[in-house]
Amino acid sequence: MEKSSVTHATFTIERTYPVTPDQVFAAFADPAKKRRWFFPEQGAQVEEHEMNFHVGGAERKTFRVEQGMSCRNETFYQDIVPDERIVFAYTMSVEGRPISSSQSTVELLPDGKKTRLLFTEQAAFFEGADGPEMRQSGWNSLFTRLNSQFAQS
Amino acid sequence: MTQGCVTHSTFIIERNLASSPERVFAAWSDPVQKRRWYAEGERGSVEAHHLDFRVGGSEHTTTIIGGGPFKGTALTNDSVYLDIVPNQRIVFAYTMTLGEKRISASQATVEFLADGKGTIMAFTEQSAFFEGADGAEMREQGWKSLVGQLEKFLAR
Repeated sequence: MEKSSVTHATFTIERTYPVTPDQVFAAFADPAKKRRWFFPEQGAQVEEHEMNFHVGGAERKTFRVEQGMSCRNETFYQDIVPDERIVFAYTMSVEGRPISSSQSTVELLPDGKKTRLLFTEQAAFFEGADGPEMRQSGWNSLFTRLNSQFAQS
Repeated sequence: MTQGCVTHSTFIIERNLASSPERVFAAWSDPVQKRRWYAEGERGSVEAHHLDFRVGGSEHTTTIIGGGPFKGTALTNDSVYLDIVPNQRIVFAYTMTLGEKRISASQATVEFLADGKGTIMAFTEQSAFFEGADGAEMREQGWKSLVGQLEKFLAR
């Protein structure tokens, strides 16, 4: 029997942010705000970023990492409940070769004046992919960077 | 861990099919064939089925539920194709909407693995269920039923 080329994995990340859910939601929904925290690692050059934040809308980001490889993220918004929930599907490609496809859920729960963010990624990794640990680590970095958007004022 | 309102689950359905991977893949990729086993197999009447089978392309299916508590309600499936490797793999994301209410979003992976002259088809669904959704067991049953329709279609 031919071997499967796909590995499925699910992981979750929880964070607390010192602002109300509408502010965390805005950091995802507003392209200008999103650009300030949702970008690849240091040294990567963002070449193209297009965002349509509505159900059925797509978002596209191309970037080149330090080693010179070109990476592409294509995102499709599946469900949006303002200030509460965003569900999207996204693929990653390296040098034109797809390496993964995932469905991600962001839930924002009010916690007094703060927000509890629950992130669940349900991923399908193809040949040559980073894999669940590295992917989770990547998202952890992004969520840490998101926190610095909410500097105590 | 904090509880949200969304329930996540994963299920896998595997079937040994007598047809070749090319034949099984075609049943998924050709709009005429897909409609026969997938849209017309639903328990209800098909209002619409449109398939644009390419990465980034979409599929839309509307069925009017024929019986039970939701009789007469429109059940809509909106899919977007995320990854296609001809005769090997299809990955798509889809949402289900019952009436006006979106009840789930899922990623589905279908693999076509050559096994002698036949195929082992592995269907993996990774779901997010919202308020009012059917849930994992019913969803799995629903897909098992569809896979049964596919088998009948391929055997004709």
